[in-house]
Amino acid sequence: MLENLTVITDNLDYLLWGRLADGQPGGVVLTLLMALGAAILALPGGVALACAAWRYPGIIRRVLFLWAELIRGIPLIFVIFWLWYLLPMLTGSDLPGAVTVTLALAWFTAASVMHSVLAGLDALPVGQYEAAQTQGFTAGQTLRLILLPQVMRNVQPSLVGIFISLLKDTSLAFIVNVPELTTVAGQVNNRVQIYPTAIFIFTGVVYYLLCSGVGLVAKRWKPRDPRLSLAQR
Amino acid sequence: MTLLLDWQGVLTGQPLQWIISGFLTTLWVTVAGILLATILAVLFLGLRTGGGRVGYAVVAAWVSLFRNTPLLVQLLFWYFAAWNLLPLTFRDFINADHPGAILPGNVWWLTPEFICSAWGLAVFTSAFLIEEIESGLRAVANGQREAAVAQGFSTWRLFRLILLPQGLANAWQPIVGQYLNLMKLSSLASGIGFAELTYQVRQIESYNAHALEAFAVGTVLYLLTGVIAGAILVRLGPKHARTATKKRMA
Repeated sequence: MLENLTVITDNLDYLLWGRLADGQPGGVVLTLLMALGAAILALPGGVALACAAWRYPGIIRRVLFLWAELIRGIPLIFVIFWLWYLLPMLTGSDLPGAVTVTLALAWFTAASVMHSVLAGLDALPVGQYEAAQTQGFTAGQTLRLILLPQVMRNVQPSLVGIFISLLKDTSLAFIVNVPELTTVAGQVNNRVQIYPTAIFIFTGVVYYLLCSGVGLVAKRWKPRDPRLSLAQR
Repeated sequence: MTLLLDWQGVLTGQPLQWIISGFLTTLWVTVAGILLATILAVLFLGLRTGGGRVGYAVVAAWVSLFRNTPLLVQLLFWYFAAWNLLPLTFRDFINADHPGAILPGNVWWLTPEFICSAWGLAVFTSAFLIEEIESGLRAVANGQREAAVAQGFSTWRLFRLILLPQGLANAWQPIVGQYLNLMKLSSLASGIGFAELTYQVRQIESYNAHALEAFAVGTVLYLLTGVIAGAILVRLGPKHARTATKKRMA
């Protein structure tokens, strides 16, 4: 049992941050970087797409829905494969693997964010929109100042769920050998061979703590409805 | 740069064989995973309902554990760690030749890869199914339960005849979504060397470098399977007795 633990402690720095000292982040650090990077791209992207689909319900909404269906109808691995081969062809240069996977994750996640925010927009009482219109707000102002602040508060739990999925999905970088947590765990397992149980339980525990931690923090920092605080005052 | 696509390199000879075999393997592991996941979910729902506080805690831990860790890590754990903890006689039995080990389409199911993939996918999906069925059951109107109790239904008959049919009808759409998700997630089993569709598509890539054509074929196969299986499952699913009678009368 003790040897089982030493395989973790011996490789702990590699599992946590890879070759960060040489300028190549890996392990848990790379997992977090990829998840945050994809979230920073996918959140505004998905919100913008939701606004476009809400504002132009005709052909634009249908095209966006078709795009989202295509993205979500195929395994995420295939989204990664496609970008892996098409991005170098389009840009003419080789992107680092971690960047490609991050872009693929952002592309995939933006579709979920779009659906979630659009559902939030559709769920708002129509009076909010009408009141803003009669006050002379333009469509853009209505979205930005009246509707989105309410929607983002309402869909926050669903966005947190999407982020947790994203965090777990970074493990797919294993398939294309980008050295995030799952990949380095696999490398350590291949190297030492005899303690797979300790290595993969450790990996699972790290993901579990990250995911449930995000869930707990989000629950604690739930944005408050300003109407509630007004009533309390 | 021009894109030259050569479908001959993918849709003939050895590559075609690989694609067909991979596709059939994906279908079989999906079917096995769905059956196993459904059985697990029903067992755990029973445990949650009838197992007191301990049963409730066990189910909560199961759901939390498998929902908050990546499926790929779970598969790696089952394949590299848990499999080797099984008794040696059992593993030898699996690795030996058996007449019944081949499913139609030349898919071997008595292999560590198939069993770990089906099991891993089933365990992961069961954690989601439990929640979907639970919320379907919760959506059954309270009057239904009260009426059944007033009619003298026992707890078990109340559950089996009144709550479950309506709860399943409520939750069927999300359940189908989880089944289709399992089909797509089976692509991750390529990570433990299971020769399903994704694995075979990548094999073509290293065989004759027709990566884009192979990915296109794989993409289309997953998409079509999802659309067709989704349509069939929604049709086959349980329907509310009331809407069904209404349709018949109309």
